Amino acid sequence: MPLHERDIHYFIEVTLAYLNKITGNEIVVRDPTIEFQSLVFSAYTGLIHLKGNAEGFVYLTASQQFLHQLHAARHNRGRLSEESSRDVMTDITGTIVHNVTKHFGAGLNLSEPRVFSTVPDDPIEMPPAVFVQPLLWRKEHAYFVMGLASSETV
Amino acid sequence: MTGTEIYKRTDAYESEARTIRLHAPQWKLLLAYDGQRSLAEVALSAGVSFAEALPLTEKFLGSGWIAEQPITLDQYLKRTGAPDISAIGAAVLPAVVLHEPKPDAVVAPPSPPPLIPKSTITLSNPPATPPPISTPLPIKTNHGPMRLSAVVDYITSLVGNTALGQILVYRVFLRVPSELLQAEEIASVLLVNDTSLIRSEALQKAIADAVLEVAKRPLPDGVYAAA
Repeated sequence: MPLHERDIHYFIEVTLAYLNKITGNEIVVRDPTIEFQSLVFSAYTGLIHLKGNAEGFVYLTASQQFLHQLHAARHNRGRLSEESSRDVMTDITGTIVHNVTKHFGAGLNLSEPRVFSTVPDDPIEMPPAVFVQPLLWRKEHAYFVMGLASSETV
Repeated sequence: MTGTEIYKRTDAYESEARTIRLHAPQWKLLLAYDGQRSLAEVALSAGVSFAEALPLTEKFLGSGWIAEQPITLDQYLKRTGAPDISAIGAAVLPAVVLHEPKPDAVVAPPSPPPLIPKSTITLSNPPATPPPISTPLPIKTNHGPMRLSAVVDYITSLVGNTALGQILVYRVFLRVPSELLQAEEIASVLLVNDTSLIRSEALQKAIADAVLEVAKRPLPDGVYAAA
């Protein structure tokens, strides 16, 4: 049984809710796109694989400056290292996993979030299409990306 | 505005009609409001995108030339395909007004297409070398290319919520064979104001089939440009 649009959109809602909590509702949601041939990766990426009622992946990818600003907003200080960039991304993806698991229960299995910089260590299989939701905060970009198997639409 | 609203021209329009000055495409849209079809359907029939129709509709509302047409529960259920009121277990008196007109509603203009920063790295699939596609016999059609923006707007309007409608568009395009998209050099779809025209009849059919399969609705003729 494929997920309903509301359920699929829940991933975006959870991500936005958390980012807006940190930024004081300053995240600007730009017009989304559907990509057929490429995946977009920025400086740091937090990737979660899905199995069960939905097969595929979701990830958030963001520029270092985007994470820098998030880090500063949370900790009230400006220094950001490679490690703290990964920590911020781990925190975001961990929150997504926590909330989505709570929402869907046992019907949907989520992998441990995998955080990497620049490009993935292991190749990601390109699904037929990915949904890309650009996000903007203080002129810095992040992208929420979702790739579902085509069987999701049967 | 979600595209599901229904508008009709007002008495004020009738009295001012001879003095109104508009561009021809705006007239086409203004004259298409019939108190029967949704905004999305009216936009399609007038040959303008949903995004273009929104500010014009706001303008017409602001001028008092059109007003939102409330509909009854029966009309709403008929439009959404529910068989009858008893099917949803509701005992409702007839002629219930679902919502009042909101002439003061303000809709922000659509934001421009997203800019991918240069620092962003993309991983691409292998170059788009279309695999052999079985070529069907040419089918004589009396319509022109398919307007991708009209397809997106139509699918989005079916849900009544833009964000969820865009997810439905995504689910539809998951069903469209990638080789057909590559052959037409469609690498992405902008979910607002995509200007692409689909000329391949095989791809047009695949998109129409996917819409029917996923959204359970046939594509209206309005998604095709004139031949």
